[in-house]
Amino acid sequence: MSLSVADSAAESKTRRSRLRVPTLGGGLLVLLGALVVTVFLSVALGSRSISPLDVLNAFTHLDRSVSTDGTVTLEMRVPRTLLGILVGAALGASGAILQGVTRNPLADPGIMGVNAGAAAAIVVAIALFDLHGVSGYLWFAFGGAIGATLLVYAVASLGRGGASPLKLALAGAAVTAALTSLTSAVLMTDDVVLDEMRFWQVGSLAGRYLPIFYSVAPFLLVGLAASLLCGWALNGLALGDDTARALGLRVGQVRVLMFAVVAVLCGAATAACGPIVFVGLVAPHLARLICGPDYRWILPYSMLLSPLLLLLCDILGRLLISPGELQVGVVLGVLGAPFFIALVRYGRLAEL
Amino acid sequence: MSVTLDKRPVPEDVPADIVEDELQRQRRGRQLRYAGVTVALGVLAFGVFVVTMMVGSYRLTGEQVLRSIFGVGSTPEVDFIVLELRLPVATAGFAVGLALGVAGTLFQRLLRNPLASPDFVGVSSGASLTAVTGIVILNAQDITVPALALGGALVSSVLMYLLAFKDGISGYRFILIGIGVSAFMSGLVSYVITRGTLHDAREAMHWLVGSVGLSGETETRLLVVALVVLLPLTAALSTQLRSLELGDDSARALGTRVQLAHLALIAISVALTGLATAAAGPIAFVALVAGPVANRLLGPAAGGVLAAGFVGATLLMSADLVAVHMFPAELPTGVVTGLVGAPYLLWLLATSNKEGAGG
Amino acid sequence: MTLRTCFALIAALLLTACGVANNESKDASDSKDGTWTFVDGSGETVTVDHTPKRIIAHAGPAAVLMSYGIKPVGIYGDESVKTDPNLQDVDLDGVTILGEEWGSIDVEKAAGLDPDLIVADWWPAEKAHSGLESGVKAKSKKLAELAPVVGASQGASILELAEGYEKLAASLGADVDDPELAADKKRFEEAKTRFEEATAAKPGLTALAVSPADDLLYVANPKYAPELLDFQSWGLDVINPDSPDKGFPYWENVSWENADKYQPDILLLDSRTFDDSLAKARKQPTWNTIKAAKAEAVVNWPAYWLHSYGHYADALDQLAADIEKADENIGD
Repeated sequence: MSLSVADSAAESKTRRSRLRVPTLGGGLLVLLGALVVTVFLSVALGSRSISPLDVLNAFTHLDRSVSTDGTVTLEMRVPRTLLGILVGAALGASGAILQGVTRNPLADPGIMGVNAGAAAAIVVAIALFDLHGVSGYLWFAFGGAIGATLLVYAVASLGRGGASPLKLALAGAAVTAALTSLTSAVLMTDDVVLDEMRFWQVGSLAGRYLPIFYSVAPFLLVGLAASLLCGWALNGLALGDDTARALGLRVGQVRVLMFAVVAVLCGAATAACGPIVFVGLVAPHLARLICGPDYRWILPYSMLLSPLLLLLCDILGRLLISPGELQVGVVLGVLGAPFFIALVRYGRLAEL
Repeated sequence: MSVTLDKRPVPEDVPADIVEDELQRQRRGRQLRYAGVTVALGVLAFGVFVVTMMVGSYRLTGEQVLRSIFGVGSTPEVDFIVLELRLPVATAGFAVGLALGVAGTLFQRLLRNPLASPDFVGVSSGASLTAVTGIVILNAQDITVPALALGGALVSSVLMYLLAFKDGISGYRFILIGIGVSAFMSGLVSYVITRGTLHDAREAMHWLVGSVGLSGETETRLLVVALVVLLPLTAALSTQLRSLELGDDSARALGTRVQLAHLALIAISVALTGLATAAAGPIAFVALVAGPVANRLLGPAAGGVLAAGFVGATLLMSADLVAVHMFPAELPTGVVTGLVGAPYLLWLLATSNKEGAGG
Repeated sequence: MTLRTCFALIAALLLTACGVANNESKDASDSKDGTWTFVDGSGETVTVDHTPKRIIAHAGPAAVLMSYGIKPVGIYGDESVKTDPNLQDVDLDGVTILGEEWGSIDVEKAAGLDPDLIVADWWPAEKAHSGLESGVKAKSKKLAELAPVVGASQGASILELAEGYEKLAASLGADVDDPELAADKKRFEEAKTRFEEATAAKPGLTALAVSPADDLLYVANPKYAPELLDFQSWGLDVINPDSPDKGFPYWENVSWENADKYQPDILLLDSRTFDDSLAKARKQPTWNTIKAAKAEAVVNWPAYWLHSYGHYADALDQLAADIEKADENIGD
């Protein structure tokens, strides 16, 4: 592809996207509205029946929320929902970035073993270094996430053909299997760790209250802000390494930076909620369906679609086996897999 | 990635009769090597089988174990330990390993892809799902559980076949869809476990990771019976399998009998996987690894089904030995096979030489 | 459940218990031909052709048997022998430890001990002896093939356990009239009287036995907790949860959002894991919506492990003191 062709292609793309700014911007607002409704549902629904009026009451009587309904609303459901928003956005953004950086439609923090890496590192941190609480093992989660990402990417890149979708998915499955075995081995030999990790391991928003939210929120917010800046670079990478270089992009450094952003986002998300799969795969694809290949739109769309999906699945999990609840990780595993299969069957896997 | 089958080029510029002689000599050599390696692997598997019954809180000698098994001059104490406690687990390990090894290598050869093993592509998780549903929700017992597992294995394979079919079956699409189906089934297994009154985390672990030590006697007995019936059938069909390996087109020329053989062999693998899963849960990677290891040992005689079975049995029993005796607490077998098998898979991917564009 | 139906239930259970106890006193004896028989908690009569000498016992019964001077050759428990409340201050010299974790018994080692009797509580809800419940490895369950299994039932009262094991010890040839044991029994009677007086002084006092976990607040069902049934019959109003889990009726599973469903005056927390449980509970924002929790009216509950008069006396004394201090109007 010659430079002039690329230029004009980029130019026409810009022109088109400029025309689409009002439409796509409006779309973002619609999504935001949908998210607000979902957030309200997430705060209003649960094993305790609290009328919508009482939910609103809880918010208007912040200073003297002594009623149980108030406590449940403000101290249990609100932190959980806020965490759902941030973690969902983080997983959606990481999925979009991973798909862009690896030019691979099957890239997803869950499938690529990133969450499993963070989980294994956390279990090791608790078992070997006696670290407790989310803030204690957060840095291990970052390390585990980046280690697993690099391992998967390296294995998939070896050999002729580079990191093809198939090899990436397989390497991810293999690394996930190995790390999960390691995690189970530690869990089953150490009762203290098992007790701490039993509920965390499945991937859930339940039981996550304000202290956990406060300890991961700064990292997630910084990571999300950083990922919004990745759009332009991802568009460059999408044209191929050579073209991207010609456009003045330092391809190697950009990749490293983006993997770092992904590690922070996935590490923090996993440390807070446990491994959650598939949402990072589905959201960017839906975003791409709506707004085409421009990552400057895909990223914000993913960041809204992903928490929307996560919260909806979480609510579904609460309603399905009420008064108990099903972990959101399980719901997503069941609902996300058909999407993955459809993607393999009907998607054009070789290109993005 | 591709199967590195040994297809040495026939030397050119050589008179035809010499080629013919050379081919015959090679064929004889293959047969000899096939028989030799298979017998050696069988002896090895039996050796590990005996060793698993020697270790434990009471160390027994190989002689004590053998005397007890064959009922020649043993004491009641040793008999209790060997026959009551260790033999059921060892038999389960042997049978499950054998079944997974055979099923794995059949799948890999029929789909012509080293990644296409039933544990990796969701047949085991399908069996798990129906078995655990039966236990938790229907209160199924005895023979119903393996029957359900068998049904689950069958349904999930048909499902995968239908999902992956698009102008024929592409091995890679089949595998990716298998991974998806597997994730789906595992998700449902977790759901069923939370639904039920299976309050015990240990039993849940059995159906998520797989463990030989938890296999029930009915399941093991059924698996052994199935192996006794199906293995000779597999051996008979496997001569036809050889011609299948030449590729679908050339095999088609041999007529519908080959297609029937194809179908029968797939059905056998699915059945063996289902019954093995009913006994020990979804133990990962044994089916994936057994075939390639056996083929490496068989060299030019690659493709021995029984050899792969023996490798599977050896691997599984060794993994269980490690899982039970080498850690501070007993681990499920699947944890060890996962720790060993996953790096093998990574190595397979890293050294693969063909672009897998999928689709 | 009203108080009256509750008492009716207890009375019914006590009657059944007495029935079993009567059977035992008739049947548990050395008959003349040297065979030994005992009626198990399940109601079945167990016969051995001699008086058993080599006994393997679960931690609780093991401690009781040792207090009667009968030392088992092997024991197995649900937790480490160092932390098991039954085995504190017990000399385990010469006793082989066969398992320190629920669901895992080293049957090979057990076989080597050549036992002639296995002693473990009978759990009526699960219809199994301790260590042989469903969910236990098939290999561990082979323990039952080594020797007959007997035990008192975890039924209507801890006294049923204490008396059952006293009878068992007597049938095994122990001197059950040892002065130290008599002192324990006397201490127990005194503690029971103190407990009854304490509850009588506070007729409105309600109690709830709970076990807090990260996902749920488990509320104990007294119907399957003999010590809670005892407390109820001795005047303490232990709340019966209205919808216990169908498959595992020991508990009602209450979500943390509904933690305030029951409002007792005091909360009973498993004494074996008291500090951990309390720390876990305090992480839940709704823990303090239980008024008793907010008032820190949380006391030790000797959950599921009591077997002997001595241990029961200690626990009752402590509880009586807690009740004397309790405020019966917290939960109202």
